[in-house]
Formats: sequence, structure tokens, C-alpha cells
Amino acid sequence: MPSPNLYADADLKLSLPHRSWHSFLGFLFPSENDTWLTVFRIGLGLQVTLYAVFLRSDWHYLFASSGKGLVGRELGDAITSFESPLIPKFGWLVAVGRTLNISEETALTLAWVGLLSAGCLLLLGLFSRPAAVAAWFVHLCAAESGGLLAYGADNFMTTALFYLMLSPLPDRYSFDHWVTKAKPKNPQALGFWRRVLQVHLCFVYFIGGLAKFLGSGWWDGSNLWRSLIRPPFNLVSPDLLVQIKYVLPLLGISICLLEVSYPVFIWLKRTRRIWLGCILAMHAAIGLMMGLYLFALVMIVMNIAAFGVPDTRSRAQAA
Amino acid sequence: MLPSKLDTYARKAEIGAAWLLGKEAESSSPLKEAIATYLHAAGIQAGYTFFAPNVPSHHRLTLELFYGDGHVEYESPRVRSRAAALRLNSLLDKLPEKRYEPIREVVLKMLAFSVWREHPDVQRVRATFDAVNLPSITEFEHGKTEKLEPMFSFDFSLRGERQP
Repeated sequence: MPSPNLYADADLKLSLPHRSWHSFLGFLFPSENDTWLTVFRIGLGLQVTLYAVFLRSDWHYLFASSGKGLVGRELGDAITSFESPLIPKFGWLVAVGRTLNISEETALTLAWVGLLSAGCLLLLGLFSRPAAVAAWFVHLCAAESGGLLAYGADNFMTTALFYLMLSPLPDRYSFDHWVTKAKPKNPQALGFWRRVLQVHLCFVYFIGGLAKFLGSGWWDGSNLWRSLIRPPFNLVSPDLLVQIKYVLPLLGISICLLEVSYPVFIWLKRTRRIWLGCILAMHAAIGLMMGLYLFALVMIVMNIAAFGVPDTRSRAQAA
Repeated sequence: MLPSKLDTYARKAEIGAAWLLGKEAESSSPLKEAIATYLHAAGIQAGYTFFAPNVPSHHRLTLELFYGDGHVEYESPRVRSRAAALRLNSLLDKLPEKRYEPIREVVLKMLAFSVWREHPDVQRVRATFDAVNLPSITEFEHGKTEKLEPMFSFDFSLRGERQP
């Protein structure tokens, strides 16, 4: 059996482009266990369940056709179809329902039940892959048909569910694994999808932080003030904010620095916990102080799955 | 805030990104449709800003309901849950954007119609859309409150429409 030194010598003999390519592949396909995927699945299961529950009373009103709903689903469907006719939308489900003599109202109810069920199944880890695909599909239909009514949380939910659906499910803490006794998934496939999530978050925060630096309001704290007194995010009394007005510029600049430097300090072992803690605290504050609960939850889930779960396999190998 | 010398490079980068994302292709191009489908499926069709570079203005829609007997009531579109209210707010904040100009009147008519269904005796609805200028901290300390800045308004006559 060749000694490890032989590989090291061979590696040294490789040219710089080859070594760079090997390093790049090593970065893209690290060996990982599936603990992060468990966190991701359970977190998104909770997210999808809450999304369905929160919108229960307005579901038909938001997605019904013209004359029955708030704006009319057809408008969102038409805008989506203009971009590409292949993007999923509720119009498809309603059309399929019509061929089966199912009314629009019943089709929308079934979609809501499907979404709630998918969320619950993800929480349990039962039929993990079909549940992830169903959750992604129905949520995407809702986000596209109600495109005019969508906001940031919808984009992040779509992204997170897209990655979950493609990740090597089921994980070993799921019911699926307990029932089927499936073999452990390829550690490099697990590592790849976690890496995709990590790199995605780095892009998100870097772009967000950079764009904030271009706005004067983040340097003097006025943007924090405006975002916190702006309806419907005005959960905190303005009088309370006035009392801490000297802290707002510092907080504004800190948020910009935290986001723009995320792609650097989240990778360094010494600073990872600090940066992750600060980002999680920021999202928790957004959720509690502005009432953006779903947005806060999806960002917290993505961050914990990407960087919050220690990679036990790597640590074991290092030991 | 960036040096103006960077403008040329920024514009070139913008053109390059638009080409890469198939924005320059014909609307019926299969490549453009494939890219758009992937971007929407992955939830990356829009940029990430998180209230950047600045927090946008807040907007308000007021519907004046004119009854046959001459009296007037004021209403706003309503939803039941807070989660849906966030979405309605998101819709109102999109409407002043230039890219939504072609559908602005249609959307406002739909919103007016949603309120009219609950007030069947209304004959005419005037939808007034305002930008709400929030006070700065200093202005708030001096007792100033929000200021409404009218942006556009539409009159919808509902006499010819039949209630569902």
C-alpha cells in the first residue's frame, strides 16, 4: 500500500493549475455527515407548516380568481407566464382540477392541505423527498401566482426548499431512515449541497451589505429608524427608539459591516461563532421587532444548517 | 457614494449580467425561458437588498366610496391575518415602481372591486394612492407626524358592473 507521503510527493509535482483544480474540488465536495441536513429538513418543515397556518384565513382570498379574491390570481399567473410558461403556478392546479370536475375553491383548498401536510411530513422525516418536492412546488405556485403580493421571505423559502429537494434525503434522524434502514448517504454529496448553501448565503449577505453601504441612511442610523417606524413593521414604540437614538448609527454601520464581511469571517474558525451569533441575533431582532417572523425563521434555519452545525466527520478525521 | 469613474464599469457589468441571464434574448426564446424557469424555481430571480441602499417609502391606498344618496365613506383594502397584511403592504410598495406602471390601474381597480363587493350600494370609487413620508427622529421629537404626498388617483364607476 503506498504511503501517504507518496501522494504528498505526487501532489507537489502537480502543476499550479492542477493543484488549484484539486483544491477547488476539495472545497466543493468536502466530506460531511448529515446532521446539517436534519437541521435543514426540520427547520424548513416548521417554516412550511407555519407559512400554511399563518395564511390559512386568507388563502382563498389571496389566490382566488378575479372577482373573488383580493387582486385576482390571473394577473400573477399572466406575469409569470410572460417570463416563462414553464414556471409552476396555481393556474395549472386549477386547470387540472377543472378537468376532474373539481371547483377552483376545492383545488385551492387541496393545495393548502398539501402544503401543510408536506410541512408536517418534513418535520417528521416521513416520505422526506416527495414531501420536499411537494412543499417546493406548492410554495412556488403560491409565490408566483401571488407574485405581486410576495416579499423577501418567499424568495428565501423557494431557495431553501429548492436546495432541500435536491439534497441527499433522507437523513439518519428521519422516520424514513428508521423504517427503511437505508445506507448512509454519500458524504461528498452531503458536503456539496451544504457547500452550495454556504456559498449562496455568502453571496446574499455580501451583496446586501455592499448595497447598504451605498445608502447614506445606514451611516447615520436613519434607515434603522425608518424601518422600525414604518407600518406594518412598527411594533416598537417610536418613543423607545428616541431614547436609544445615539446607538442607531452604530447599529446601522455594524449591520453593514456584519453583512459585507460575512463571506470572510464565517469561514474562519476563530470568528465563525461570533459572526454566526451576530447574524442570528440580527434575524431574531428583525423577527421580533418588525413582525417578520417567517423571514426571520427561514434565515435562521439556513444559517444554522449552513454554518451552525459542527462538521463531526472533519473533526474526527483531524483527530 | 462610489467614484463616478466606476460608472462605466458598472454599466458594462450590468449589460454583461443581462446578457448572461438571457434578458437580451427575444421573449419567445427557449434559452430565455429556460433561464427564467431556473431562476424562479431556485428563488433567485430578484436581487437581495434587505432594505438597501435605503428604506423605501411607505405607501397608502385610500378608497373613497360614493353612494347614490350622496354620502361618502373611506375604506382601505383589508385582509384578515398579519401574514397577509405584509403581502398587501408589499403590493402597495411595488405599485409606484416604473415597471409596474402598465398594470397599476388594473391592480387598483381589483383592489377597489374587492372593497366594493362588501359595499354593494356604492356607485363610484375613487382610489387615491399616497406616499407616506415618515418623520425623521428630530422631526418626531418636535412633534411632527407623517406627511401624505399624493402620487396618483383613479375613478372607477361601478354602475355598469354587476355584483358577483
